[in-house]
Amino acid sequence: MALPPGLSEVTFADGIAEMRSIVGNEWVFDQPADLNTYRDFYSVLWGEPEEKHASAAIAPANVEEVQAVVRTANERSIPLYPISTGRNLGYGGAAPVLSGSVVLDLKRMNKVLDVNESNCSCLVEPGVSYFDMYRHLRESGSKLWLDVPDPGWGSMVGNALDSGGGYTVGGYRGHWEAVCGIEAVMADGELFRTGMGALPGSETWQQYRMGIGPCLDGLFRQSTLGVVTKMGFYLFPEPEAALSTSVEVFRFEDIEELIEIMNELEYGNVFNGMPGVSSPVLSQENPIAMSIVPEPDVMNRMVAETGHAAWRASFNFYGPEKVIRAQWEHVQERYAHFPGVKFTESSFVKLPLSPEDLERVQKPRFGIPSLDIFSVGSRGYGNFNPSDGHIWFSAVIPRSGKGIIDANRVMRRECERLGLDLFMFVPSVTCWTRSFVLFAAVPVYKDPERNRHLRDAVKEVIGICASHGWGEYRCPPAFMDDVMDAYSFNDNKLRRVNEQIKDALDPNGILSAGRYGVWPQHLREGREA
Amino acid sequence: MITRRDLIKWTAVAPALATGSQAAFARAPQGLDALLLDERFSPEPAADYARIPVMRFAGDVTGVWYDHLDRRWRDPGYVLGGITGSDALFVLETLANHHGRRVVSRTALAEPNIDGVRPVSWVIAPHHPSVTA
Repeated sequence: MALPPGLSEVTFADGIAEMRSIVGNEWVFDQPADLNTYRDFYSVLWGEPEEKHASAAIAPANVEEVQAVVRTANERSIPLYPISTGRNLGYGGAAPVLSGSVVLDLKRMNKVLDVNESNCSCLVEPGVSYFDMYRHLRESGSKLWLDVPDPGWGSMVGNALDSGGGYTVGGYRGHWEAVCGIEAVMADGELFRTGMGALPGSETWQQYRMGIGPCLDGLFRQSTLGVVTKMGFYLFPEPEAALSTSVEVFRFEDIEELIEIMNELEYGNVFNGMPGVSSPVLSQENPIAMSIVPEPDVMNRMVAETGHAAWRASFNFYGPEKVIRAQWEHVQERYAHFPGVKFTESSFVKLPLSPEDLERVQKPRFGIPSLDIFSVGSRGYGNFNPSDGHIWFSAVIPRSGKGIIDANRVMRRECERLGLDLFMFVPSVTCWTRSFVLFAAVPVYKDPERNRHLRDAVKEVIGICASHGWGEYRCPPAFMDDVMDAYSFNDNKLRRVNEQIKDALDPNGILSAGRYGVWPQHLREGREA
Repeated sequence: MITRRDLIKWTAVAPALATGSQAAFARAPQGLDALLLDERFSPEPAADYARIPVMRFAGDVTGVWYDHLDRRWRDPGYVLGGITGSDALFVLETLANHHGRRVVSRTALAEPNIDGVRPVSWVIAPHHPSVTA
């Protein structure tokens, strides 16, 4: 067992015994077979001495038990690592950032506390998965949708806290953007509510996010400052219909205006679904991995020879049929001047989905959780072993044609130079409005030598991206320090302010030590060197 | 907790599953509550495997999870055997762990891989006191 650093066996055992009395013996996990389930199965440190291991796991049933466990840990300086369900594979899974931490597993807190049909909102506990919520909405006859990530097996709260994203409507598919109201247990065990939740008797906790004074929701995003025990979300009223379309253009130089118009249309609410930008001519070999963008004349020649479009913008519309058809008509008018432009209506469905439509649609586009993505390897998209997994490299890049081309070329060139495999490469993910996020899936291995090379290469790529002004929005634990280091404005003031807040709110440094590069004082001394 | 008797019973099932043949299934499923077959590796139509319910899928476990296992695994008991791709087992094992269950037996099969996915036979059984019958 990996004990927390600097903690005596006696103190640790005393703390675990106290926690056992709080949650019950059967909800304390400290045997090797149990702790194995809290490993990061996609760890880039798999099987190495540096792999992050939990010393134990505790699964409380309610807020009061969470408070008691946190107080117990705080009194003894036992590090805790809260997880909702621990399914963010590719970003760390259920394993703590600091080896020896006690995982605070919130899976038993899985109640849907409220669904408000007229306000289109809900309030849930952290153990509620997307599948749980989807079932709740369907079985209760709700007319509301939730936005889901893919795969949809994780926690609504956990995914939002990590800024995960989905595939439906702007304002909902960026999961942190759809949060309205947080309850958290702070490091001293006290209960805290953000927004209107701080006003006893308020009926607007899931309506008005800000409350009064500084908006403190952000304290809990990717953070080390509290254990979130309730979270409110906005939900989307089920639309009458959904329309998916695309606009294809056939010249390299069309990309800039293609995206400028797309931005104007989305920010002006002409379409509300998730847009996309791809290159059919550069995705012939692998539909989920764009190859390097060549020089303009080369790309235009490829287009002429193959007949594939240079660029494709996809548009999705949700709403009344008359409205979304008119919106699509307007989109076509805006692109009509592009030479050879091709417009395609790829699917139109009335909602709720018929059983036949349910079988053929891409479920997450309709707020339906799925596990299908795990079988992607068997469709021949990549020669990798899915059980070895992958990590995500996810850099925020400008939402422009130049943004896509620059990021594509730099990443493709540098990954090839470094010998870094990519089995998925999409430079223009739009789960989050107003920017692109470049997504690259990097296969990981159970071979320490290959993983060592992978880690060195990824760290180098983080630095290269930073030199272009591109920073990751989320990353696996092995790279959290490097990514936070890259946000270096004014001598890393961002990290220093985070550390000041950490020291003030969690002086014993018990919560999520090291998460996203924020370490408690007793563990960061010497790190600066 | 899994008793020694249970473990012996379920691990005895696994070698029979490992043959992947219908004949073996006909003999094997004593002690199982259901069988899960991945059609990528077992394209034969479903047979009556000694009256054990058979669920079939083809790589994507979403339907099996949402329609069956998510409910079944909330209650005590329910021993599940399967022949699936290793990718599907990875998903099921993760979900099983979350619900107090463990893979108590797994055997890589001799059948050829499909697009890099290895066929595996396995048994998932209740482990945690909250779900042991």
